[in-house]
Amino acid sequence: METLRQLLVGREISELSRVAHLLDEPEQLAAAVGSVLPDAAARASHAQLGEAFAPIVERAAQRSIQKNPRTLTDILYPVFLPAIRKSIGEKIDQTFQSLNESLRHIFTWHGLKWRFEAWRTGASFSEVVLNHSLVYRVEHVFLIDRSSGLLIAHVTAENAMSEDPQLISSMLSAIQDFVRDSFNEKEQSGLDTIRFGELRLWSEVGPFATLVSVIRGNPPEELHEIIRDVLLRIHDEYSQALEHFDGDSSQLASVETQLQTCVELKHEESNEGFPWLVVAAVLLVLIPTGIWFFLSWQSGQRWQAYVSRVASQPGIIVAEQTARDGQFYIAGLRDPLAADPQSLLSGTQVDPARVHANWQFYQSLEPEFVLKRLTASLAPPDSVRLSVVKDRIVAEGEANATWISRAQAAAQQLSAGGPVFDISRVRDVSPEARAAEHWQAYVSRLGTQPGIIVAEQKIRDGQFYIAGLRDPLAADPQSLLSGTQVDPGRVHSQWQFYQSLEPEFVLKRLTASLYPLKSVRLSIVDNRIVAEGEAPDTWIDRARAAARLLSAGGPEFDISKVRDVSPEAREAEHWQYYVSRLEAQPGIIVAQQTERGGQFYISGLRDPLAADPKALLSGTQVDPARVHSQWQFFQSLDPKFVVKRLTASLSPPKSVQLSIIQGRILVVGEAPAGWISRAQAAAEQLSADGVVLDVSQLRELNLAELNHLREAIQTTDIFFSSGRVVPGPEQSPVLDRLADQLKEFAENARKAGVTARFMLTGHSDTTGRETANASISAARAETVRALLNKRGVAPELLLVRGAGTFEPAVPENENSRTGNSTNRRVSVTVNLE
Amino acid sequence: MLQKKICMLGGFAVGKTSLVRRFVQSIFSETYLTTVGVKIDKKSVAFPDKTVDLILWDLAGEDDIGSFRVSYVRGATGLVLVVDGTRPATLAVALTLRERVEAEFGAMPFVLLFNKSDLADRWAIPDGEIDELRQLGWQIYLTSALSGAYVEDAFRQLASMVAK
Ligand SMILES: Nc1nc2c(ncn2[C@@H]2O[C@H](COP(=O)(O)OP(=O)(O)OP(=O)(O)O)[C@@H](O)[C@H]2O)c(=O)[nH]1
Ligand SMILES: [Mg+2]
Repeated sequence: METLRQLLVGREISELSRVAHLLDEPEQLAAAVGSVLPDAAARASHAQLGEAFAPIVERAAQRSIQKNPRTLTDILYPVFLPAIRKSIGEKIDQTFQSLNESLRHIFTWHGLKWRFEAWRTGASFSEVVLNHSLVYRVEHVFLIDRSSGLLIAHVTAENAMSEDPQLISSMLSAIQDFVRDSFNEKEQSGLDTIRFGELRLWSEVGPFATLVSVIRGNPPEELHEIIRDVLLRIHDEYSQALEHFDGDSSQLASVETQLQTCVELKHEESNEGFPWLVVAAVLLVLIPTGIWFFLSWQSGQRWQAYVSRVASQPGIIVAEQTARDGQFYIAGLRDPLAADPQSLLSGTQVDPARVHANWQFYQSLEPEFVLKRLTASLAPPDSVRLSVVKDRIVAEGEANATWISRAQAAAQQLSAGGPVFDISRVRDVSPEARAAEHWQAYVSRLGTQPGIIVAEQKIRDGQFYIAGLRDPLAADPQSLLSGTQVDPGRVHSQWQFYQSLEPEFVLKRLTASLYPLKSVRLSIVDNRIVAEGEAPDTWIDRARAAARLLSAGGPEFDISKVRDVSPEAREAEHWQYYVSRLEAQPGIIVAQQTERGGQFYISGLRDPLAADPKALLSGTQVDPARVHSQWQFFQSLDPKFVVKRLTASLSPPKSVQLSIIQGRILVVGEAPAGWISRAQAAAEQLSADGVVLDVSQLRELNLAELNHLREAIQTTDIFFSSGRVVPGPEQSPVLDRLADQLKEFAENARKAGVTARFMLTGHSDTTGRETANASISAARAETVRALLNKRGVAPELLLVRGAGTFEPAVPENENSRTGNSTNRRVSVTVNLE
Repeated sequence: MLQKKICMLGGFAVGKTSLVRRFVQSIFSETYLTTVGVKIDKKSVAFPDKTVDLILWDLAGEDDIGSFRVSYVRGATGLVLVVDGTRPATLAVALTLRERVEAEFGAMPFVLLFNKSDLADRWAIPDGEIDELRQLGWQIYLTSALSGAYVEDAFRQLASMVAK
């Protein structure tokens, strides 16, 4: 059975046991189910399976995230990325769409161009816009020596234009220097970015060189990194050459290849994998908002700056202001004289078209405006200056009454709330006021005059009235008017005379009444009048009487110092003075003098050359009529008198000088021999009287040449025809020669210190009457003098005399024979003085 | 390419800008526009063996040494000291500026120009004084930006000095 059973179902039994075993062993079962599960799940009903799995999967995911979130992220990454990308893409698409929408109506040239491009490429218009707005290109790269600013190397992109790169390089470094200096920047730093319109200059500073890139368009930030890298590499490779750069760039030529990499940088060739779209989108959103915020913030700032500027203007009150939807509103009050708010806009960069202002005019009470208005309305004359002093308006200067009253009216009007208008410092210069001023000056001048008392004075209807007392000896009030500019015609004075008891007036009166003598001096000492000196007793009596009269109220008159003196005594004194004066005179010897019965007698000796005793009387107060003098002449031996006498008697030539040395008379110089012998004779005479005349130093004048000339002159004769007083023409050469000789002689004599004179003696023959001959001879001499004078001989040197027939040259009888008398002539003699 | 930075130094209105203009552009103008900051010009000077590009930094003239921006001179290899021959005081200014620069950056080649030599009637520098400076071995020129006299010579001289 067993066997049969074995035979019949043995295979099934073993199959069953394998299955039972399979079910019992979980591992085996799991393996078994695992192999069918996918299929089973696939065949299972979807809904049921999902429902069955959901909680399990949820729990499983939850646990996995709790344990390590990364795992799941890693797992899901490939799933999410496309998803996110897709969603961002959609978002951007939407943005583009709306951008598209907003750009649709813009008809700019670019807009049209880009629209065409979008149509051509099939891209959305917005994409094209974005694309273009991110274009940039590095056009130039400069490598600049840091210390000197000299250019090391420079590369340019194709088609890029530029000025002289050497100049640009220097200027850039000058700008850097300037910025560093001006803003006190640190060595290392400098300007890294400069923007000129479309161009940006980025500068990257290295230890020895600076790399400046000129970029057109909108470069991405990380371009900085790229440029910095290039600069680093250059510094690595060429550090030696850079450090010792001295303007010679030949060693650094290969740097250009490095720089070239920078220039090639532009939008199209930038990193391919870079998610341009995303960046673009973000930028697209951020930039406009940023710009918008910035612009509106900036224009708000500018507006606020403008508002505060307006508000700070004197004469402008800002009542309200607001900025709404890019429009600006401002309202308030302004003085017409204040600055124009519109014109204040210039320079603020606030667009005037967006400003809506509403200004009401008002009159500002700020002093400076009031000042302006007052200046306009009062039109002050040039002589008045208006100014603001501590919130008050002060007028200073001179003006006429009408202006002042207008100013006063204005001041009153102002007083309600406005600043004070002070016109007290304006002087009234209208004619009346001026005249009144002058009058007052005159009155006060009178008041200070001694001997004048002003009792009252007033001005009425342009006329001046004054009344008071005056001493007759005081200054005349009328004459004091001169120079005061007061019109005398308008002055009405009434003066009562009185006698002033002021000492000086009393003095004047005393002087007038007492006729004090010259020997008495009146003066004021401590309010007393004091007389001093000498006077005859009659005068003293009169003075005493006057003093007594004065004592009632007036100043004291003190005559105690006047000495009593009789006229006789005084005259005697004067006489003695005269006598002593005479005695002191050289050349006067007083022998006797006496005074008897009012007469004066004097006798003595006087040298004729001494002073005249009579003349000495003058000034001595001695009456000449009472002086009786007796003077004997004598020759004083006083050297002074001797010299005088010698000068008179010897008439020394100019070349000789007489002087007195220690009581001796010394004669020095040159003189003609004749004169010297005369001087020697005088010396001998004088020595007998004990006076020394020293002539030893006289030298003889050399007159040899003169003598020769004198000879020639003295032998010359001018001849005349009978009865004629004018010489014939044949005498002309003789006259010419004679004139020359005379001049020469006179000149030489003058040089020798003597004066030469020429005596022209006219002669006649014996025919005719003697008287006629005398006059003919004189006339001939006169004619010759005239002819010589005509030839240049000084007339004062020519003396004339007529000798008639008395000094014939030859005995007359011989001439009668020839009938041609040599006696009809003029002869010449020379005199030396 | 050989370049050298040259600085124009001197007092106010001595003619620095005019000299540069005469040298670079061969023109002269009477009108006086004071230089603010610095003005840069370039001129190549050719020698038989080489050519030097002079980068001329025309600095604002300062009579007041205190306000002189010495940093502009950094990296310069030569100086053009300019004196106005009609104003003796500008000589002292030029010499002081040079001292200041030397103190900061060390000695460097220079030429000394007594400018405005055309204004002979207002000339105020005695010959003796110039001779004394020449005794020191200095390169001195009596230039005129107006007539152009010695301007070229002076710059060429400096160029040859800095190109060595
Ligand atoms: N007559 C004459 N005038 C000159 C000469 N050089 C310069 N000037 C005049 O001098 C004035 C000043 O010249 P600039 O060249 O501007 O002087 P600067 O030294 O550059 O002056 P700053 O820049 O202010 O320091 C100008 O009016 C020039 O016309 C010259 O050689 N002769
Ligand atoms: Mg200048």
